[in-house]
Amino acid sequence: MQLVVGVADMKIGNQAEQVIITHALGSCIGVAIYDPHVRVGGLLHYMLPESSLDEEKSRENPFMFADTGIPRLFKECYRLGALKQRMLVKVAGGSQVLGGPEHFNIGRRNYAALRKIFLKNNVLIGKEDVGGTKARTMYLEIATGKVWVKIIGQTQTIIEL
Amino acid sequence: MSLVPQVLRSLKNLPPFPMVAQRTLVLLNKPEVSIQELVEVVKFDPAITANILRISNSAYFGLRREIHSLHQALLLLGTQELLKIIIASGATRLFSAPTPGYFTERQGLWRHSVSCALMVDVLSRELSLPDQATGFTAGLMHDIGKIVLSLFVEQKFHEIMEVVEQQGVSFQAAEKIILGVDHAEMGGEMARMWDFPDRLRLAITYHHLDKPEAYTDDLILLVYLADILCLMFGQDLGSDGLAYTGYPEVLRHFHLRERNLQKVLLQFGSAWDEAQILFGLMGQQDGVQRANRG
Repeated sequence: MQLVVGVADMKIGNQAEQVIITHALGSCIGVAIYDPHVRVGGLLHYMLPESSLDEEKSRENPFMFADTGIPRLFKECYRLGALKQRMLVKVAGGSQVLGGPEHFNIGRRNYAALRKIFLKNNVLIGKEDVGGTKARTMYLEIATGKVWVKIIGQTQTIIEL
Repeated sequence: MSLVPQVLRSLKNLPPFPMVAQRTLVLLNKPEVSIQELVEVVKFDPAITANILRISNSAYFGLRREIHSLHQALLLLGTQELLKIIIASGATRLFSAPTPGYFTERQGLWRHSVSCALMVDVLSRELSLPDQATGFTAGLMHDIGKIVLSLFVEQKFHEIMEVVEQQGVSFQAAEKIILGVDHAEMGGEMARMWDFPDRLRLAITYHHLDKPEAYTDDLILLVYLADILCLMFGQDLGSDGLAYTGYPEVLRHFHLRERNLQKVLLQFGSAWDEAQILFGLMGQQDGVQRANRG
């Protein structure tokens, strides 16, 4: 069964038949976490780095921002029995348009925000596919914890993270 | 080998621009449009009239009461909003063919075009520019060149991508190198053949800001920026991904900082949700065509 994660959205699962998927990441970032011991996983698709931009919106929907969405993703998985120290973390997205790095850099900032949160909380990123100009779709298979990234394009390249 | 002769030959088979949308485009040039003029344009097209009612009642156009008649819609929405709705419902047929050179999803180009139109609206609001139907329309039409060029891009996709990756140029620049013509130029040609108003035609031709002429009109800069922001937002991205150039001078011109861009993306998220009915217009394409033939 496919669970689709929209923009500024999150889904978690612990049923073997579930595949969680998020379409077309541009500058947004997809974070997949998975505890192989209890086979619990979740996928977050956030848009922007910091909730200070609009506190009210972040209360309505914490999944818009890295700093409100990432903690929620972990907490929801803990509720299904996952433990932080067992968690495998994979990240994709954060693309940028061409040109200098100092402008239009929401993708880079999204990635920086995630790194900061993970450093503070001693979370290691296992695998990642971030940056560049690619559009990506991301999948998390609950039965195995495998994560795939599909590069949107004619050949539909799929890589396992 | 240049494909230009072949590409130009394919333009000979260009279907006519949908009539209702065509007549509405002409109205974009007029400083004042009367309700009567709008009624005249749409009244013989029952499918479009039905669409106007459905769209008028969507959250995006945000009326507090339900609209039951065309006349009521005209009175309550105002002419600029109505022009947008009529052009969007009239233009769907144009986007009905798949564009596999750019999008694996059949309706990809339509979805990206609607997104860009909505983004122009959101940006205009952020910049306190008058919310005009011209901007929305330019956003909707900016990529029409892809309708025709798709076939050729599909054949040469790998060569184009190689140029993008090895030379670090935009997808549009790579189209020009490999095909001899790019989707913006192509769109400009189509706009000429279809007699689009000049401002609209130029916005289509220069929407990637690859020529100095692009800087002559804020409308062009607005469409450019909206397009780039849609790519960043990410939904409905095509095979060309985000391989387009970000020009910081456009941000400076509009006094936009990164925080403003983040806010625009946030507002766009809501607009995108509220305007889903526009994305869905393509779904009832067959119904529209039947109604028009009948």
